[in-house]
Parts: sequence; C-alpha cells; structure tokens
Amino acid sequence: MREQKRSTWSWVTGVVAFCLVMLSIYPTIRGNHAFSKLIDAYPAPLKKLFNVTDYTTSVGYLRAEVFSFMAPLLISIFAVIVGSDLLGGEEERGTIDLLLANPISRRRVVVEKWLALLAGVGALCLTLEVTLGLVGPLFKLHLGWRPLSAEILGLGLFALFAGTTAMAFAAATGGRGIARGAAAAITVAMYLLATLAQLVSALQPVQWASLWYQTLGNDPLTTGFHYWHLAAVVLVVTALLVATVELFDRRDLAT
Amino acid sequence: MDSNAPTDQREPVAVSLDHVTKLYRGGAGVHDLNLSIRVGEVFGFLGPNGAGKTTTIRLILDLIRPSSGTIQVFGLDSREDCVAIHRRIGYLPGDLALYERLSAREILSHFAHLRGGLAWSSVDKYVQTFDLDIDRPVRTLSKGNRQKVGLVAAMMGDPDFLVLDEPTSGLDPLVQLQVRTELRRAAKEGRTVLLSSHDLAEVGEMADRVGLIRAGRLIAIEEVAQLQQRSAHLVEVKFRTPQDVSEITALPGVTSHSLDGPILHLEVAGDINPVVALLAKRDLDDLSIREPTLEELFLKFYGATRD
Repeated sequence: MREQKRSTWSWVTGVVAFCLVMLSIYPTIRGNHAFSKLIDAYPAPLKKLFNVTDYTTSVGYLRAEVFSFMAPLLISIFAVIVGSDLLGGEEERGTIDLLLANPISRRRVVVEKWLALLAGVGALCLTLEVTLGLVGPLFKLHLGWRPLSAEILGLGLFALFAGTTAMAFAAATGGRGIARGAAAAITVAMYLLATLAQLVSALQPVQWASLWYQTLGNDPLTTGFHYWHLAAVVLVVTALLVATVELFDRRDLAT
Repeated sequence: MDSNAPTDQREPVAVSLDHVTKLYRGGAGVHDLNLSIRVGEVFGFLGPNGAGKTTTIRLILDLIRPSSGTIQVFGLDSREDCVAIHRRIGYLPGDLALYERLSAREILSHFAHLRGGLAWSSVDKYVQTFDLDIDRPVRTLSKGNRQKVGLVAAMMGDPDFLVLDEPTSGLDPLVQLQVRTELRRAAKEGRTVLLSSHDLAEVGEMADRVGLIRAGRLIAIEEVAQLQQRSAHLVEVKFRTPQDVSEITALPGVTSHSLDGPILHLEVAGDINPVVALLAKRDLDDLSIREPTLEELFLKFYGATRD
C-alpha cells in the first residue's frame, strides 16, 4: 500500500483541482437566464446523453458537469489502473516471488490488495464529497449531504466494480496490459449501454445489465439511495473478488 | 552411483521430490525428478542455463505447480501446507526484484512482520554482517547491495531451510566469502541449505552433495567428498629441456597424458609415488600436483554423458 500512496495523493490533488475549477465556473452560470435559454435550445438527444436538464441549478449543474461523465470516469480510470497494478504489477515486476515465499497465502494477498483498492477509491470519493460539500457553498452551490452522498456512493461502487474487474483479469493473466484493456472496455460498454438506452428503445430491455445504470442511472442526486440496486452491485463485486482469489490461487506465477 | 537415498533411513528428510514432472509447451520443464535432501545437509544444484534449476526451486516453493508427482517439505505437502512450510524457509530468487521505491528497512520490516513478528535484532544481525545501508531507497542501490538485501531477507530469523538461487551473483569476493561463512554456520547449526549455482567451485566448497541437472533431468547426484576421493591427481611438469617421457607415461597409474614441448600433463590414479620417483631423476623447472576441481570433475562427467 505504501507504494500506492504517492500516486493516490496525485489523484486526490487532481480531483480537488477538478472540483475547484468546476465550482469556480458555477457562479457565472447560476440563475443565468441567457444561459438557460441556450441550453434549452440544445437538441433533446444531446441533453439526454449528457444528463443536461436544469443546468443553471446546483443539482443540474453538478449532474451535467461532474456526475454524468467526468467524475465517475476519472475515479473508474483510477480504480482500473490501481486494480491492474496491485496484482499484475507485482507479477510483472517479479516482486511477487519474494512476497509469496513468506508465510502468506495467495488468498490473503488478493484480499489485502483489494482492501488497498477499496481504500484508494474511498479516499477519492471522500475527497469529492468533502470538496463539493464544503467548498460548494462558497460558490453558491448548495447541495444537501444526503443527495451528494447518494450520488458519490453510487459512483464509488461503480469504480470499485471497474477496479475489481481489472484485478480479476490480472489474477487470470499475470499482467497489467490485458487487465487494463479488458476492464476499461467493460467500463465504457456499461456507460454506453446506460446512456444510449435513454435514446435507443431497443436497448432499454437490457439496460439493467449495465452497472453504470444500477449505480447512477436512477439519478441518486435527486432521488437518493436505491438500496436494492446498490446491493446488486455489491453482490457482483463480491463475486468478482471471489473469482479473483480463485484465479490467482490456481495459476502458476510467471517468472 | 546414486547417492539419492539418505545413508541412514532414519535420518530426517527436509525436502523430497517424488517423480516430479513439470511440462511446459515446447517440451521444456523438468521430468521425473526424484530427490531427497536430508535435514542439515547443504545440497548444490548444478547445471547450465535453462536446465531446470530455477524451475525445481520454484516448484518446491509452490510458485508453480507440478504437472505430476509430489513435493514434500519437512513432511508437509508443498501446496496444501505452503504457509506452514514458508514459515521455516528463507528464499533468495535468482532474478531478485525488490520494491524500488521503498528502503531496505521498510522491505525487511514488512517481511519480518509477515514471518510472525521477527525481532529486529535477528534482522540487524545480518544487516551488520553484510554492512548494508538500509535507509536508502532500493532504486538507488547497486546490484551488489540489492543482492545483499535479498540475502538478509532470506537469512534473517535463521530459518530452518535456506533456498538460494545464485546467492553470490553480483557480490564482490569479500562478501562472497561472508556468504559462504554464513552458510557453513547454518549447516553447522543443523539447518538445511539448497543452493543453485553456475559457480561449480563455490558449490564444491560449500555443498555436501551436488545434483547435476541437464535438460530437465537429474542426471547425477554425488557426495562431494566421494567425488574428490575417487578422482585422479593432476600433475603438471615443466622439464628444463624437451625430453622423452614414454617411461613415465607407461606407468600403470597414469590414466591420461599430454605433452606440449617441455610441459607434460598427467592424470594419475591411485599411488603417486612411482611417478614422483621417476620425475625426481629428471631435470625439472617446475612441478605441481593437485586434486581436480569440482568443475573439472563435472565437466569431465558432463562431457562423457553428452552422447
């Protein structure tokens, strides 16, 4: 975990910077009628795609600029990189041999590394919540802690899913490359399925399969916590973790 | 000669490999290995690159799993009981890779903690022995110093079984000597050592028995002492002037000879006295009589089994 500290701190800084930039723009947009009219004139599919509804309000602005795409994507990218690196990186660099020669089971190694992933994603989510919640009001951006927490919990769970997927592929293959590629592809596919299903009716029956939809699709920012949906995602993440443990336990480790 | 079985059946066994095969695509790997290493023994693995030394070591450590056969360490299954086994093992990999951003102190503390909370004094003993700077990040250390970190990590806590793949690689001669001293001490204390090396001379000095691996098969296991006893004397004579040596080379003990100008090389089995008696009558510039090194013995053996 100590090795991950440095990169996690740069990500935390990045998230804070991103939030501050977004927040600093808001005052000019808030309640700006001219801006409202401009947004209303956007084609409906485009507005649906980027979750633009009431852009000039706190909730609408955050939903469009931060939560519809950027924040979930950023934190998922972090999770995929960290997830693939925790297992795949050690094996690629060769340090796994020395680690496993100690009296530590492979299963324990996977679980401890997953906890490091959880801590990293948790740290970024906390940063997002604290920055938006505490600094937001300075820029006249008011959001209750409950809606903010609901949205960030969904986002965090999705990122955890992305990172655990990366870990599973790394456990199966012993490298970072395939793990990153596969996890990234799955993450993007889930995002696309959730978003395009709003525009393409043929996709709506399978929208439920997208974990992006399960965690963020119900607009937690407005509608609050959706416990059953979140529980389903927790179940999937748990299943992935179990698979990761088994895959890593059975395989020959690369030299 | 197969000196594979312990000479006394009641002697405890540290490691046993029973018909162990590991197959890789393309035919590489190890085939039908049978080996027993006694507790307290220093066993040397010798063989060319790619022969299977590292594969065998990684099988014993449960880093890779055999295609067939069983491996037991201290009577425990290498896979089922690997955590219990690893509590008693100190391992130095051939391709040592360390956490670059951490210092040696952080790495060694972490491993000491994993091994059930080793006292720092048991780590520090070896840090002092090898004169290691443990507070610098590993990425700033030279290859020799990194190897020292690996050695300390393997030896700290005085584990019952040391598994060392090329332990003196990258080390200067003084440190190599220190390593040999420590390994001899470990053996004296009844601990088991498995050593893998290209360096035949080094293995010859430290090992009780050596196993020669070639193309994934254990083709010979010999007691070093017996090997050296069985071998011939190597005689090198420099005459003052080139001369007829047929009288000397015809002696029954002379198993082979070669003459290059005034320099005569002889291999003499058994009693050296008849040869010395004849040489004493001649005018000599120089004379040396020595035992063959393990390298010379094995190269002879390895060359003979090539066909």
